[in-house]
Amino acid sequence: MKISRRKFVQAGAAATAVALAGCDKIPEFLAAAFRQKPTCDGPFHAPSSDAIDAISHALNRLTFGACPHDYARVSRLAPEPQEAAAAFIEEQLAPEKIEDAYCAKLVRRFETLAQPFGEMFEFQEKLLLSELQRSTLLRACVSERQLYEVMVQFWTDHFNIDPSKGDCKWLKTSDDRDVIRRHALGKFPELLRASALSPAMLWYLDGRVNRKSNDEEKPNENYARELLELHTLGVHGGYTNQDVVEVARCLTGWTVRGTRQSRFQIGKVEFKPNRHDFGRKVVLGVEIPAGGGAEDLDRVLEIVQLHPQTAKYIATKLCRRFIDDDPPPSAVEVVAGAFLQSSGDIRETLRALFATHEFQNTRGNRFKRPFHFVVSALRAVDAETTADLNQIDFLVRMGHAPFNYPTPDGYPEEAAPWLGTLLWRWNFAVALTEGRVEGAKFDFDALKGKFGGDETLMAHFLGRKPTEEETEAYRESGNGLALLLASPAFQKF
Amino acid sequence: MIKSTPLAAFNGNGDDQRALVVIFLRGGADGLTLLPPFEDDEYHRARPSLGISKKIALSLGGNVGLHPQLRELQDIYKDGALAIVPACGSEDDTRSHFEAQDLMEHGGLVGGGWLARFLRNREDVHSSALAAVAISRDLPEVLRGSPSVAVMQSLDEFSLGKGSEKLASQLEKLYGAQTDALGQAGLGTLKELRRIEKLRATKYTPEHGAEYPNDYFGRGLTQIARLIKARVGLQAASLDLHGWDSHFAQTTLIEPLMQRLAKGLFGFYRDMGKAMETTTVVVMTEFGRTIRENSAFGTDHGHGGVMFVVGGGVRGGRVFGEWGALQTNILEFSSDVPVNANYRNILAPILLKHGADEKKMGDIFPAFDLQPTNIYG
Repeated sequence: MKISRRKFVQAGAAATAVALAGCDKIPEFLAAAFRQKPTCDGPFHAPSSDAIDAISHALNRLTFGACPHDYARVSRLAPEPQEAAAAFIEEQLAPEKIEDAYCAKLVRRFETLAQPFGEMFEFQEKLLLSELQRSTLLRACVSERQLYEVMVQFWTDHFNIDPSKGDCKWLKTSDDRDVIRRHALGKFPELLRASALSPAMLWYLDGRVNRKSNDEEKPNENYARELLELHTLGVHGGYTNQDVVEVARCLTGWTVRGTRQSRFQIGKVEFKPNRHDFGRKVVLGVEIPAGGGAEDLDRVLEIVQLHPQTAKYIATKLCRRFIDDDPPPSAVEVVAGAFLQSSGDIRETLRALFATHEFQNTRGNRFKRPFHFVVSALRAVDAETTADLNQIDFLVRMGHAPFNYPTPDGYPEEAAPWLGTLLWRWNFAVALTEGRVEGAKFDFDALKGKFGGDETLMAHFLGRKPTEEETEAYRESGNGLALLLASPAFQKF
Repeated sequence: MIKSTPLAAFNGNGDDQRALVVIFLRGGADGLTLLPPFEDDEYHRARPSLGISKKIALSLGGNVGLHPQLRELQDIYKDGALAIVPACGSEDDTRSHFEAQDLMEHGGLVGGGWLARFLRNREDVHSSALAAVAISRDLPEVLRGSPSVAVMQSLDEFSLGKGSEKLASQLEKLYGAQTDALGQAGLGTLKELRRIEKLRATKYTPEHGAEYPNDYFGRGLTQIARLIKARVGLQAASLDLHGWDSHFAQTTLIEPLMQRLAKGLFGFYRDMGKAMETTTVVVMTEFGRTIRENSAFGTDHGHGGVMFVVGGGVRGGRVFGEWGALQTNILEFSSDVPVNANYRNILAPILLKHGADEKKMGDIFPAFDLQPTNIYG
């Protein structure tokens, strides 16, 4: 980050003032002077080959789209493109080491995100949802920890919760922060356990009303089923309906204090022994002895979290996201192996995935989902964005607004469900060029200048040199930027 | 390569599309005023000022009538295209607008809207950007979770901008050169776009001498009619009519609303003409109101309300069910109309008629023992 002379002097003055005052906390307004949007000064480098090279490919797959300075920055990490890409991957696998002050500053304005859990209920549901949506969009656009944001989205879909159900309205914000974001690049068993005991998940999949059989009620199998079908083994994972029943029995007794039922400690997760089935259970052939109470939950998680089928299922989903809609079985096998070897360490698993030749050589084939498209457009033009609700509206029309998916399976990853969104993407592209996307500011002419020419500019957007057809289309379209953003190549990554 | 899937052709062939229009009367519309049971003495005793007498009610041939401000609805009824369901509502007893609307739009305690789930279960829903249209500023709950929703207030929101013909033709070249499903999707989308551009460019004249009221509601219905007729693949539309929460001075408050509702629906019905055979309009509200009027010449939040179904082959000219004996001496629920017909049992047959898979009805209306009312037989 370049620091101007003025700022350097200011910093010196500030530091002196602080030292003299004996205060160990730099006042916010002074600190803010340091946290500017990382300046992107040209001249920029763009990819120069006809096909997507290793650097473009890594940027495509690990981020929500390249910013103008990204290609040059990554190129400088090592002399050869292959090594530079590898260095970039390593960097992204350690997000805690990546400086991200600008993003943190922007996200701070969404005050509900940082509220203590119990305070959430004081806020209007619409506000909670809009701040969650906007901050998610904003982070994807400006965070330097791009792979982390990509994985946050991955796990959000994997452990999907629709906030519009019941108390989830007030609970999803905490789930996003304390379950998904805490463990997105952590360890799968920890992520799974956090999700199982998340108040939002207990509400969403009815775990909170799961109680032992008596004359009037039977256990509620909803969460048990989705735990096996969607979160761990997968629908072809080889579990039976009896397994679902047994898992449900294990999880009886866990509940959440709801807004309509309680006046105190709303949202608190509790285990009620009088609702728990203490009998003996058998899950996937493993016996869970009678007499277990709250620990039955841990017994179940131990059985499923690192099950070979779970490894295969998670590996398949990851390979779908990072390689191809039809994940190559050879890659899935490698990734599943790494998952098991590392006891579900997500970073190790991804490291193994990125090292496969399938990952490295399958380029430009995936179709961007609408969120990815919108973010990649904003990043490509280096927009300063405040993630206004207007931008969320565009995503609503494309059917991909964050936290809007109603069923537990989460937004689909394959291309087919999204092919009908082209009209709205083109609409967005034109609106962006006409300044009608509220809260997004950019200077296309300046950008062109920094790239020093149309062909380099186009290469930046497409990740490779443009074809003759694309160059002609750009010239003849009357709106080059809209054409680029609406073009088939920009829909892919 | 992006793989093809069995999608309906991207030509927006509206010939195969049935369209479902959901109109939500927000605020809790008073069913006993819309459909007065003028023969019921208890009704008149409970509503000394608000009661509608047999003399002024519009006759439906039975012991209930329509409020005089709903004259145009009587015409549709006589045409055999309007079915009415009294004592219709939800099983929950919340009197909160927000909660009741949410529950009814979601179809119970579930995430996302029932209309969205219906669309999601349709195989061909991904083929059109305009499969679901909400004439609204925000995404209505009933469509939350729909694969894509055009939340719009005017067709102008679809434009690719001035001079966009050049852009469109260049996109056509680029997408035409793609050999996978993306290319197909692009070309289909351009067709859709050209249809909409044509719509925007021409001033719309309603057919068959239909007239829409010149207000938000009338304009919204006009947009929906245009889109259906343009065959851009619209399968579901939603539109709200606000203001029904008549706690005081009910007559003054809702008579204009009733007029707008009736005139708007009639304009739509006339304009659509033959297309009404494949178009269903459902009018619903989150709850009805108290039987007894209050001291401010209004009514308060109640339970059972009224539902209307227009077109789509419904067996119209019929009232399905009855208000029943109105009992105002029950201490619990402070004098409410009971719910004899759960709203899902009216919506389910409509969705089936609109192509929902019978096996998927449990997904669309989960945790409910559906007993569909036969409104088509």
